[in-house]
Amino acid sequence: MFRKVPKSVVAVAGVDFTVPKGEIFGLLGPNGAGKTTTIKMLCTLITPSGGDAFINGFSITKDQQKVRENLGVMLTGERTLYWKLTGRENLEYFAALYHLDSVSAKKRIWDLLKLVGLDEREDTLVENYSTGMRIRLSFAKALLNDAPVLLFDEPTASLDPQSSHLIRDIIRDLKREGHAIILTTHNMEEADLLSDRVAIIDHGRIVTLGSPSELKQKVKSSDIIEIEARNLVEQTANALQSYSEVSKVAMITSPHPGETEVLRVHVEKGKEVLPRILEFLVRKQVTITKVTFIEPTLEDVFIAETGRSLRD
Amino acid sequence: MQTSTGLRSDIRALAAIFSKGLKHHLRYPGEFLLFLLLPFLFTFLILGMGTAVAGANAASYFAIRTGTTNIVIYEILGGAVWMISWLVVEDVGTAIRDEQIKGTLEQNFLAPVRRFTLLVGLSLTDVVITSLLFLVVVGVSVAVVMPGSILTIIPAFLALLLGLIPLFGIGFLFAGFVVRFKEPYIFTQIVSLVFATLTGTYYPVTFLPYWIQLLSGALPQTYVIEDMRRIVIANQTLVNLYGSLFVLLALALVYPVLGYAVFRRIERRAGVTGEFSKY
Repeated sequence: MFRKVPKSVVAVAGVDFTVPKGEIFGLLGPNGAGKTTTIKMLCTLITPSGGDAFINGFSITKDQQKVRENLGVMLTGERTLYWKLTGRENLEYFAALYHLDSVSAKKRIWDLLKLVGLDEREDTLVENYSTGMRIRLSFAKALLNDAPVLLFDEPTASLDPQSSHLIRDIIRDLKREGHAIILTTHNMEEADLLSDRVAIIDHGRIVTLGSPSELKQKVKSSDIIEIEARNLVEQTANALQSYSEVSKVAMITSPHPGETEVLRVHVEKGKEVLPRILEFLVRKQVTITKVTFIEPTLEDVFIAETGRSLRD
Repeated sequence: MQTSTGLRSDIRALAAIFSKGLKHHLRYPGEFLLFLLLPFLFTFLILGMGTAVAGANAASYFAIRTGTTNIVIYEILGGAVWMISWLVVEDVGTAIRDEQIKGTLEQNFLAPVRRFTLLVGLSLTDVVITSLLFLVVVGVSVAVVMPGSILTIIPAFLALLLGLIPLFGIGFLFAGFVVRFKEPYIFTQIVSLVFATLTGTYYPVTFLPYWIQLLSGALPQTYVIEDMRRIVIANQTLVNLYGSLFVLLALALVYPVLGYAVFRRIERRAGVTGEFSKY
């Protein structure tokens, strides 16, 4: 009954990086790239079938208890809390599981509730919190034990701009205090804004790693044209690859079918080639609404490395 | 930041888990009523069935086969032990799954609290509450039917507490099965009904075929139910029952170790397959 070996899927392989104290390390990649699996392995929720990693010097395969003591983790999602408990009761519960003594816990909980702006709602049941409040509480929970290493999985997903701003400011402060921080995100602006270094991960492998400026510098040799258009299909976009000057093409798919699509074209001598590209698209019945030459973003780094957009 | 260590940290974690569970129960109070009524309802059911089968002679036939005419207390004691054993096995067995469904299991597993403490703690609230309900159910029944024996519920309760330890072990075993196969209530309900059949809940174990009695002998409830009936109905003391108490003690040493070993094995495998994140 227990010997059957399940069909194996390699979710993450060859992921190798070091994060020193006081650094924010971003893991950037599309959904399903292996970011969350990496985080779950680092925090001992998933045991790697091979290899090892060390958190503050402790092995995730051999010293799991020590690893947990040295980690503060925020996993994505708002159902990571007890909805029938208040915000304060949730933090009190987890403080005990993290072995904080009651006096320290009381002060820490109050400080954290204040930090994430929930001090006036501490005695409200979590079921009556908004999504943003739940995520802020979940973030506060990750800081309870003041761990040297912090893992944040999509910390600002589903947050309004104001709350996202608050969380990003706190993450920067934590960095200044000397915490080693790993955050996963599929939001390239967030990775760019926060990270000292970024690893772009795809299909469970790190495809490139460096500071955001270093990574963007790599794609600066090409011109990047962003074309907003309607009636654009993948086949047409891919056909642009037949131009020798075009190195990469990626469609940033619109979330709403029928709305404007955004196409990124990495190209040599962009100004010379642009008329031919536009003529080709018009011939294919594509309605072009806007054309811009843009500065490279981490999305372009991803496109250059994988030939796909982050949203694929 | 000040942290507690060793046993102190375990006790603090257990207290927090207990407190969290209690708050949840108090905020969903409906099941208290169910646990209070269940032993009485089953007893009336059995009395009705017995009367339907044996008519006016039911009580005398019952006395010949069980040695007592006190049918109500006999059945209430059996039913109450069954209820509590069902809840212990179900609560330990399904605690992990319940947290998984709520989405909070991984949050608990991220903390440096020991898995053993967590597993015991997650079911502790239910066990304490059902033990108190047990005292109310049995206490009220004895006070009404045989008030002179009211103090006997104290040693009877002590025998029950000893019997709860091996039940936790069976619960650990089922916690492992639930992690592996999901569908917790199928497992625990089948097992609980088998318990009722095998452990002398509503009739003496001696009615069962010999080979089934061997299975009954491996279940702690068989001894707890028998001991409690001897204490409350036949006025025996714990000292008189040293033989079965010794067996309970042996089961209390073996079952938790065995059950927890199986749970840890399945848990480690679940860590590799990512089972804890699956619903």
